[in-house]
Amino acid sequence: MLETTLCGVTLKNPVIAASGTFGFGAEYDDFFDVGKLGGICTKGLTLHPREGNPGLRVWETPAGMMNSVGLQNPGIPVFLERELPRMRTLDTAIIANVGGGDLEEYVEGIRLVSGAEGVDIVELNISCPNVHEGGMAFGIDSDVAAGVVAAVRRVCTKPLMVKLSPNAEDIAAMAIACEQEGADAVSLVNTFKALAVDIHTRKAVFDNVTAGLSGPCIKPIALRMVWEVARAVHIPVVGIGGIATWQDALEFIMAGATAVQVGTATFIKPTTMLDIIDGLERYCANEHLTSLSTVCNILGTVPNCNILRRIP
Amino acid sequence: MTSPSPACVEGATVLAQERLTEDVYRLTVATTTGGTPGQFYMVRSWDREPLLARPISIHKMNEDTVSFLYQVCGRGTELLARLEEGGEVTLTGPLGHGFRIGELRGRIAIVTGGIGIAPTFCLACMLPVRDVTVIAGFESTPYAVAELLTLGVDVRVATEDGSDGTRGFCTEIFDPPAFDTVVTCGPMPMMARVAQLCAGAGVPCQASLEARMACGIGACLVCPCPTVQGNQRVCADGPVFDAAEVIWHA
Repeated sequence: MLETTLCGVTLKNPVIAASGTFGFGAEYDDFFDVGKLGGICTKGLTLHPREGNPGLRVWETPAGMMNSVGLQNPGIPVFLERELPRMRTLDTAIIANVGGGDLEEYVEGIRLVSGAEGVDIVELNISCPNVHEGGMAFGIDSDVAAGVVAAVRRVCTKPLMVKLSPNAEDIAAMAIACEQEGADAVSLVNTFKALAVDIHTRKAVFDNVTAGLSGPCIKPIALRMVWEVARAVHIPVVGIGGIATWQDALEFIMAGATAVQVGTATFIKPTTMLDIIDGLERYCANEHLTSLSTVCNILGTVPNCNILRRIP
Repeated sequence: MTSPSPACVEGATVLAQERLTEDVYRLTVATTTGGTPGQFYMVRSWDREPLLARPISIHKMNEDTVSFLYQVCGRGTELLARLEEGGEVTLTGPLGHGFRIGELRGRIAIVTGGIGIAPTFCLACMLPVRDVTVIAGFESTPYAVAELLTLGVDVRVATEDGSDGTRGFCTEIFDPPAFDTVVTCGPMPMMARVAQLCAGAGVPCQASLEARMACGIGACLVCPCPTVQGNQRVCADGPVFDAAEVIWHA
């Protein structure tokens, strides 16, 4: 009932663990059968290992949290050797999330990852707000993003999904640029660039000053962005941003998402995604739906902006 | 010692809530999930707000209860402190790697600062008590000391305001050469000093760290501990580390 096709890859259901919140999958296998998920996005990978950011990395906000991890990861060669074989035993789609400090690192990283057996989809991360060079620097301006997508498209032998930043100047134009350069899907949104101040020390809480905001507090804005993008492009859109319940997931699907990613809500309760899958199944049964595609992208209103419009 | 598999327990019943000082409480919960000394649970007694559960170490445990000793220092612990007998909490755990008890030999010092005394009770229960000395520092009124004395452990107290024991920091009444192995748990600057003293005396030391956490199980990487082997995760690789491997000044 929930089986979903995302750029040619069959997912058991449209619920995917978001990058950076689920490690490499094995961490949560102690708590539930992660093989029940539609897919798992890996922790953001870069060609070269990264130690991540110094100082405090997490701060709670009303209905959300800020993080400043800074792409700490073992590097793609170590991922391929140590983590990927274990992930392949988890019986779910593997989406390799790849970041980079410069264009060359992106291209080499994606060449390596997309050539690996077991990687189903490559998620190009041009939206990490927590690294100085690379990351979100490529995800603000549509022309800059187009350059990265075009370059990695040439070496990527797997379906290519581009993870967009809500900090983009124009999220719909950004998605269109990615589609035109050969992206097979877009996922959105990554975290919002945000600030917290420690009034006692009179300094920013984070060493990097700003950090990425996630959680239920961003959901309405993320939902609006997914809706705008779904009307602007013809490729599948994967919705991300504060999804914590099956009703949240359904909102994103109705707004145009083919699938959803769940991140911060897994911290609230490790089995949140199973609850969402169960809820979607019950919804389909109660509504006599054979597929969620029936209710995908069903909001009739057209946004008031001059972008290429999707014909329903 | 192999650690038991962690579990998610929703609706664990509160058996007791004791207020030990102005802001220190002991919460006892019915659960059979146990653990080993030095391990912790992610604890919450609320639905969505605050967003994250709170990592709290095991203070006492038996087959069907776990107790947490905690200090109220924010929204989460304020909510925990409001719990009454019969209330409910959600637990995820036991998590992390606890003390390496097999490596604790000879004369053992447990050096604690403030609420860092929390895991001491369950640790002392698993050690030959006559070999154990607890050196506990507090800002003011001590807490959780009486039970240690009933175990038969030698307890030496230091308070910053001189209200009990020796006036000053616990590190001032800690003499590393008098011990063969050391365990420490408390504020980072205090543990850094203990680690430095132990390194100087050539005494092995295990340090139990505290950190703000999100997932608590090793997935999100927001609780790094800089070590000589690079960043380790306080939640999953720790919270107990070899003090000599921790980069304390980072």
